[in-house]
Amino acid sequence: MKDIADQEVIDIGDMDVEAFNEYANEQGWGDGMPLFVPTEAKVAKFVETVRGDNRPYPPVPPRQIVPTLQSLAANAVMAGCKPEYFPVVTAALRGVLDPDYNLHGTLATTHSCAPMVMVSGPIRHELNINCGTNCFGQGRQANATIGRALGLMLLNVAGAKPGEMDRSTQGNPAKFTFCFGENEEENPWTPYHVQRGFAPTDSVVTVMSGEGPHNLNDHGSTTGDGLLTTFAGGMSNPGSNTIYGKGPMFVIIGPEHAATLKRDGFTIESIREELWKRSRVHLSRVSRENLVTYETTGHKPDGDWLSIGRDPKDIHITVAGGPGKHSAFIPSFGGTTVACTRIAR
Amino acid sequence: MRIFNPSFGMAAAGPAKVTLQPVNWATDAIALISNSKPNARELLEGVRAMLGAHRPVDNIHFHAKNSASQPAPKELIEKVAKNYKAALLALGD
Repeated sequence: MKDIADQEVIDIGDMDVEAFNEYANEQGWGDGMPLFVPTEAKVAKFVETVRGDNRPYPPVPPRQIVPTLQSLAANAVMAGCKPEYFPVVTAALRGVLDPDYNLHGTLATTHSCAPMVMVSGPIRHELNINCGTNCFGQGRQANATIGRALGLMLLNVAGAKPGEMDRSTQGNPAKFTFCFGENEEENPWTPYHVQRGFAPTDSVVTVMSGEGPHNLNDHGSTTGDGLLTTFAGGMSNPGSNTIYGKGPMFVIIGPEHAATLKRDGFTIESIREELWKRSRVHLSRVSRENLVTYETTGHKPDGDWLSIGRDPKDIHITVAGGPGKHSAFIPSFGGTTVACTRIAR
Repeated sequence: MRIFNPSFGMAAAGPAKVTLQPVNWATDAIALISNSKPNARELLEGVRAMLGAHRPVDNIHFHAKNSASQPAPKELIEKVAKNYKAALLALGD
């Protein structure tokens, strides 16, 4: 590729932080927020934290270059990470490099998808990752900067520059950062990473190319059945990518809703089944022109209904958040997967 | 002050280079490939109709990716490479 910067280390002279930010933005390295300076000394501290992971990185699409640990660490430094966050960021990068994640497609698409990063296991508390109240929002350095570091890697290493390779029609605030922890302590079922075959003591990063969280508000229902009616209604969206580009989605259940569902005997499997059945979109809600497009590209309805995924297993379920009667639906890009990576320590 | 370049990387080994063969647009087989988004097929139908004014079109065929959001499957790429001398790709969006 001709656009590969050929200097791994750059002497920028005697710059202060403001001058560095001017310089970095001229290079196209920034996301619009202030950046920290990736000095040799800072980068070295970050690289030391991932010595337990010696696997080489594959070429990163769309740009198809093989990053060095130092260039990856430079992005984490610029994002404002602490060194101990870096193994989480590199695990997230390995996740988006899973071929089934379809990194090229998810970065180049006109859809608004951003990499959702969910952290499970003991490392959540070691790094003070927010799993509870306002877990999708602001306030914690780890949540804010881990997601941001991955975004900067996709900008600078993968080449997803907005308006160039990143062709998103409207974008998404989650492209700045989208990182949260599972609330395993208030999950009445099984933590997500254990559902995926990891040990409870493993620390795992899960990534999905998703939209931002869509709120599922239900203060009125006092039964699990009532909650699932509300959830399914919020998920049943004829404007969703997954209605034709079938793929995964997350339902992140708030702890209070989870307790009600558990009390009424629902399991993760039965929740999936119910949401799958109830979230189908009736053809009366689909435009005639869209239906023609779906049918000619192989996405035929089942009778009078279109499903919002391939099967119930496309609905991934876990618990996060704090007190309150809210849950969240996170639809994906569609042509992607949910990739899990154990954090090397 | 020295910094690490956040966009630095090493070039991946590229695919083997192939020598392109000359195409006879008046007679050779042509693949018309849609990215499976709206209007790509219509655009290709127009191209095929225009070619039909100048040449036979019985060896000009339509193909499509399985999904607009995913890469063309290897089998499709191999099929096109094996059976056609030229391919035109339409990107609907």
